Amino acid sequence: MRVIDIIIKDLRVLLRDKKTIGIMIIMPIILITILGSALGNVFGGQDNTDKIQIAIVKEYNEVEEAEMFVESLKNNTVFQGIDQENIKDISENLKDFSMEEIIFNEFLKNEEIKEIIEYRVTNLDSAKDLLSNDEISAIVIFPENFAFDMYTNFATPFRNEVSIQILEHPEGYIDNQIVEGIFKGFTDKVSTMVIGKNVFIETMMENGFQLEALNKMDMIMESMSDILDSSSIALKEVNVNKNEPLSGFQYYTIAITSMFILFVAGEGAKLLLEEKDNLTYQRMAIAGTQKSKIVIGKFCTILVFALLQIGIMIAYSAVVLGVEWGNPSLVVLITLCAGFTMSGLGTVLAAVSYRIGNYKMADVFQGFIFIFAIFGGSFMPVDVLPSFIKPLSNFVPNGLTLKLYQKVMLGSGMNDILIYLIVLLAMAVGFTLIAVFILNGEERWKYVKYNNAKTSKIKS
Amino acid sequence: MALLEVNNLKKYFKEVKAVDGISFKVERGEVFGLLGPNGAGKSTTISMISTLFKPNEGDIKYKNVSIIDNPSAIQQKLGVVPQEIALYPTLSGYENLKFWGHAYGLRGKELSNRIEEVSEIIGIKDRLKDKIEKYSGGMKRRINIGAALLHNPEILIMDEPTVGIDPQSRNHILDTVLELNKKGMTIIYTSHYMEEVEYLCTRVSIMDKGNIIASGTQEELLEIVKGKKKINLRFDKISDNLIDRINSIDYIENVDVHDDEIILTTQNGEDIFKDLIAKSSETENSILSIDIKKPNLEAVFLHLTGRALRD
Repeated sequence: MRVIDIIIKDLRVLLRDKKTIGIMIIMPIILITILGSALGNVFGGQDNTDKIQIAIVKEYNEVEEAEMFVESLKNNTVFQGIDQENIKDISENLKDFSMEEIIFNEFLKNEEIKEIIEYRVTNLDSAKDLLSNDEISAIVIFPENFAFDMYTNFATPFRNEVSIQILEHPEGYIDNQIVEGIFKGFTDKVSTMVIGKNVFIETMMENGFQLEALNKMDMIMESMSDILDSSSIALKEVNVNKNEPLSGFQYYTIAITSMFILFVAGEGAKLLLEEKDNLTYQRMAIAGTQKSKIVIGKFCTILVFALLQIGIMIAYSAVVLGVEWGNPSLVVLITLCAGFTMSGLGTVLAAVSYRIGNYKMADVFQGFIFIFAIFGGSFMPVDVLPSFIKPLSNFVPNGLTLKLYQKVMLGSGMNDILIYLIVLLAMAVGFTLIAVFILNGEERWKYVKYNNAKTSKIKS
Repeated sequence: MALLEVNNLKKYFKEVKAVDGISFKVERGEVFGLLGPNGAGKSTTISMISTLFKPNEGDIKYKNVSIIDNPSAIQQKLGVVPQEIALYPTLSGYENLKFWGHAYGLRGKELSNRIEEVSEIIGIKDRLKDKIEKYSGGMKRRINIGAALLHNPEILIMDEPTVGIDPQSRNHILDTVLELNKKGMTIIYTSHYMEEVEYLCTRVSIMDKGNIIASGTQEELLEIVKGKKKINLRFDKISDNLIDRINSIDYIENVDVHDDEIILTTQNGEDIFKDLIAKSSETENSILSIDIKKPNLEAVFLHLTGRALRD
């Protein structure tokens, strides 16, 4: 018998089982549609038309702190080593330099940022009320002395540490990441420029141009201000940080698909034992069909079924929900690798079920699918899970599959996903080898179940 | 040269001696019967002939070639009808036959023709498109047989093929067996139904507890109980007292009790009625019927084992 005959027969059997079709195809379609629609707004993707609302709390006083900064310069209380001429220049330059102008009018009101974030300035208590009433996703707090420290960083050779505090809504998973990403991008950029400025001054000083360096402070401040005006730099940082938002439909399509291919493996676990229980396995053996062909047939059946299932999910989500999957060749490659891994896993489960002679293994695995789903990020993004769970997503096949699809949706190329593909394929090979090891050896089944034989009286 | 030769075959499952050193030969073109109660070792024997089990000891030769070391020598020449339905219930009769045809290397036009012919033989042509799960028990049995006939096997092994089906289907199956045999197919038929073996088989081996206790043609086997009578007695109820009193009749050879029935063999036909009525009248049990039968294979089994076949 050819392996293809076994595969065709198995697929016919599987596709005629309404329960199997319900679990494998109908249920994920329903879940993708419901979860994608219901939870889409927690994602920052294209379907999220609402802007993220944040409150900004200013605990500093720019005017007072500017005066305090100039006073400190004049008194030489903090900034020793700067001569009066330079102090005068810096004070003059400060009149044209405003931190608030840069942050509020140029950075936060930048067209790209405005598309994502809408802010209001308020005090801390009001902001907390807004947060607890779900009216905003986060509070960004600029601390006391923020202006003073920033002037110091920009206008002197010195560097003070500035930290912006963000209070987040506990359920605003993706919004939080976006807000964090934007402000981190901003502060990173500022830090980079401050460091650059300091390196410039130190280099000048080391080469005996201390005076010239300080004289150029006004130019440095001006150029730093110009660079900060360009919030596209900040946005670029943001994109790296928050991994480009996916739409709710995008995320849940890959999350649910990655989870439900585990059910294919679970279903595959029953294939061999069902043949054994139906005595069709023995009948094939009697006809001279080698065990290896039967097992390869089961492996391929699970593979084809997994590919079919993923294919239907891709087609449905693309056509009906408008989900963009990214580079088609990479999607095909990931799908094949995921299919192989599920085949390997399904064959291991089938081998164990076959050897122990009951369906407990398949049932236990069905229970574990939900744990795998949590670890793999099928119910909620891995990023919002406790830190000790996050690494586990790389050890469950659905977690890796989800990550791969996610990366391709976000525009990653082959180089970015190669390592994950290798791990996924290694799992497939590992599972298959385990299955071969378990199935290796002489058969121990009994052909006829004597005790089950029915008898009846003969009426001649 | 016998078509199939079984020599000193043994198969043990842990402590259980399922088959304990049996030998027999099957000649080309005959219907060979393996008769015995459930658990006698018939199915284990045919499992070894089918190459499903390897024996612990002994040999099986097909056309003088050992199939223990070379199972492929017989696999494609053999058709096996297992005791239980070994089919895919959610596939149609046609799809099942097609799949099992593939298992024996049939394809294309040849396979289609064979499915046509076999469905004719088993009388199921009109229902081929229906799923197996919608078939009656008898129809499932027929298609179970059909799946073993597709490759036109040289030897057909049928393991209790009529268990649990209606008389009409059973008669159809028995007639099919005879038809196939008439066309030259060698058949090994196992059953615990004595009537079926008597109806079909030219030679019979009677098995019990893993051993063959008698072999030969039906006539040869009946010689064992020549001159004896088999008597079936039915009572309103059977008490230990009644059994003891019947056992006390010295010329009665075997007494086997079944529900409300006692089966016994004896050589004395003259005094038996008088003595049985006398003994039963000493108890609280009443005789409902007395049935004297010509000795048959069941009587042979009863004579040899002291138990009825259906035990």
